Amino acid sequence: MRSRILRVLGASDEDDPETAEPDVRTDGGTTSDAAAASGETSRLGQWLDSEFAKSLPFWLPATLLVGLFVYGAIGWNFLISLTDWQGLRQPTYESLDFEMYTRFFDSVFAGGLLSGPQEYWALRNTFVLLVVFTVAALAVGLLLAILVDRDIRFENTFRTIYLLPMSLSFVVTAIFWAWMYNPESGLINQTLGAVGLGSLAQQWISDPQYKLFAVMFALVWQFSGYAMVVYLAGLRAIPSDQYEAAKVDGASLLKMYWRVIVPQLRASTTSAAVVLMVFALKAFDFLYVMFGTRPGPSADILAMMMYRESFGTTNWAYGSAIAMILFALALGVIAPYLYLQFKRGEL
Amino acid sequence: MTSDTNLTRRRYLQGTGAAGAALTMAGCLGGGGDGDSDGGTTDTDGTTSSSGGQELEIVHWWTAGGEADALEALVEGFEEEYPEVTVTNNAAPGGAGSALDTEIQSRILNNNPPSTFQIWPGESLNTYLESDVLVDIGESVWDQEMRDAYLDGVKQLSQPDGDFVAVPLNIHRLNNLFYNVDVVESAGVDPSSLSSPADVLSAMETIRAETDATPMIHQTQAPWSSIQLWEDILVGSAGVDVYQDVLAGNVAANEQAVRDALQTLADYSDYFNEDAGSVAWDQANNEVIQGNAAFLHQGDWAAGQYKTAEDFDYGDDWDYVPFPGTDGIYHVVTDSFVMPTSNPSPEATEKWLSYCGSVDGQERFNPIKGSIPPRTDVPDEEFGPFLTEQREDFNDSSAQPPTIAHGTGVTPEVKSNIEGVFSSFNGSWNVDNAYNGLTNAF
Repeated sequence: MRSRILRVLGASDEDDPETAEPDVRTDGGTTSDAAAASGETSRLGQWLDSEFAKSLPFWLPATLLVGLFVYGAIGWNFLISLTDWQGLRQPTYESLDFEMYTRFFDSVFAGGLLSGPQEYWALRNTFVLLVVFTVAALAVGLLLAILVDRDIRFENTFRTIYLLPMSLSFVVTAIFWAWMYNPESGLINQTLGAVGLGSLAQQWISDPQYKLFAVMFALVWQFSGYAMVVYLAGLRAIPSDQYEAAKVDGASLLKMYWRVIVPQLRASTTSAAVVLMVFALKAFDFLYVMFGTRPGPSADILAMMMYRESFGTTNWAYGSAIAMILFALALGVIAPYLYLQFKRGEL
Repeated sequence: MTSDTNLTRRRYLQGTGAAGAALTMAGCLGGGGDGDSDGGTTDTDGTTSSSGGQELEIVHWWTAGGEADALEALVEGFEEEYPEVTVTNNAAPGGAGSALDTEIQSRILNNNPPSTFQIWPGESLNTYLESDVLVDIGESVWDQEMRDAYLDGVKQLSQPDGDFVAVPLNIHRLNNLFYNVDVVESAGVDPSSLSSPADVLSAMETIRAETDATPMIHQTQAPWSSIQLWEDILVGSAGVDVYQDVLAGNVAANEQAVRDALQTLADYSDYFNEDAGSVAWDQANNEVIQGNAAFLHQGDWAAGQYKTAEDFDYGDDWDYVPFPGTDGIYHVVTDSFVMPTSNPSPEATEKWLSYCGSVDGQERFNPIKGSIPPRTDVPDEEFGPFLTEQREDFNDSSAQPPTIAHGTGVTPEVKSNIEGVFSSFNGSWNVDNAYNGLTNAF
């Protein structure tokens, strides 16, 4: 698709000099002294005829809209985070400083490395969620993809089953995971009890020790299907001779995947990881449905805290600062990916 | 030939692109126009309100069964009394105003507030009062007749800064200990003999020893239930004055009382249903109805659930006592309506607020909602036996303290901090941490 666009652009590249050059030549030839006026028009005509002007209608509207509603909003949010805005009056933009950010990071480090106020827990949990959830979802997704790729029966059915959870809303999955985690009547503890592992039964979503783990497990369940689909596409792109060559060379199944196949899935891994990380940052809905706006320190995340600060206590500036920190985190996740793509010339 | 078709296609594309651009521009202009016309509507509304035909927009969070019916009845009565006003009933669903706050705050910031909206009175008005966005209705709505009919504790809540700004419409009682009669009897416990929060503890021990039932139903999924239980343990063991002093921010001065109350709550937690962390309170309450649990501490909205349960009658199957130690105290949870400034329909809003403060309005609303009217002169007929008893208790009560969990006792900022403390206390039950958290919360 992209190459076709390039080809079209290339074609127009070749076209334009042909049409443009004679114009210039005739212009230069006929009007040498009646310079100013016709020179202006010809420059305008030239400009109108240029690549740039001709491409304007295609990218300008979208750029303006995105610029205003995405980057404009981000910029304004940043500006608000520099103010002291709270309450229900209009913000004043007179004294701009980074006070909200210093307040946040002071709080994060206030309690040392292992504890602290809500800022510490929100930031810590956001990090943990980002890393552990992404790695776990990728691992499960890769495993599923390899299994589904091994010419099994009902392949399409399995693929659909694994992908299905992703099509469900967080609201739905949060509610039924809350049922599953119910320590008395929930499926998980019941199953553990039925197979004689009753001693492993826990208060999954009320014991602070397991809360975040329980949330991540549910999220992995929901999103590993997506990782599977991405990996499956990657696996299908690997020519089958390579499997055969590895087999001929006497590689075991495990060795073949580990040495030959998995290293070729790097591109799939990066693209799936980026999407999963973004989902991790958006786990707000899931937590909100499960716990309301107060999941407690063991499962609090930045998005949740931002919501509380802004709409619970009308600390708009502080909420905006948290939003910017979250934005920086998301950018930090995506930037290496974009850079990699750029270096490979795929951007 | 090919280059020709190419050209036309390109020109065609250019055309659509340009059209798209033009449309976007038009869209932007339209947006600008909207903004202007908004400014216009407030103007025209100003004029319409002075001429008569009015529109009243009410924003509230009463969307669940009985609540929605109660509001419906109130609106109906209002429209009978003031036929010239058209009511726009704008619900912002979400328990206890979680979504409503967001909507109201952004609308006030955009200078486009509704005519009136539901809010807890008392300190939770703080955000709005600080920004000066509520109209003083001491003259226009709170006439002498209305002032005489309200009790002091409730009137206080309507004027946190001295001026009357809110009209309380209904009152729920928070300090109830509901129980399943059969379970309690089979354990040989007499709830009416309990006289302190500590007695509840020993009663629960007996229930656990004598029956298979869960001694107390509770939820720790969200922090509010534990906050309100802690409030009543504090009132019941240390008295209203200590409680009020804590609300005023003097936690350290009452260290022993606060710590003891936290410890008692932590002791209670041994007797909670095992799935307290995974259920909502009404889900858990089914266990009381089915006879699998004995006690429930909850506001009297819980009675609504018992009322709708089949074969579960007041007095025979379920009953309640004021939370032990809080006899004679009516721990008030109340909803009110207010009048924001830049009001689109000032006159209609005043009519609505006056109606909310009237005997007729409160008589229509409260029996259906399952609450009692804040006015003491509303006739009893419409209220069932349970609410009639509650009304007697209310009229005879010696104190009507506000609450933290339901917004009337502390500012939203403090409430949020306390919720933070209890969201970690729920589950960890670490008294030292919770106490330190509370001292920092105010």
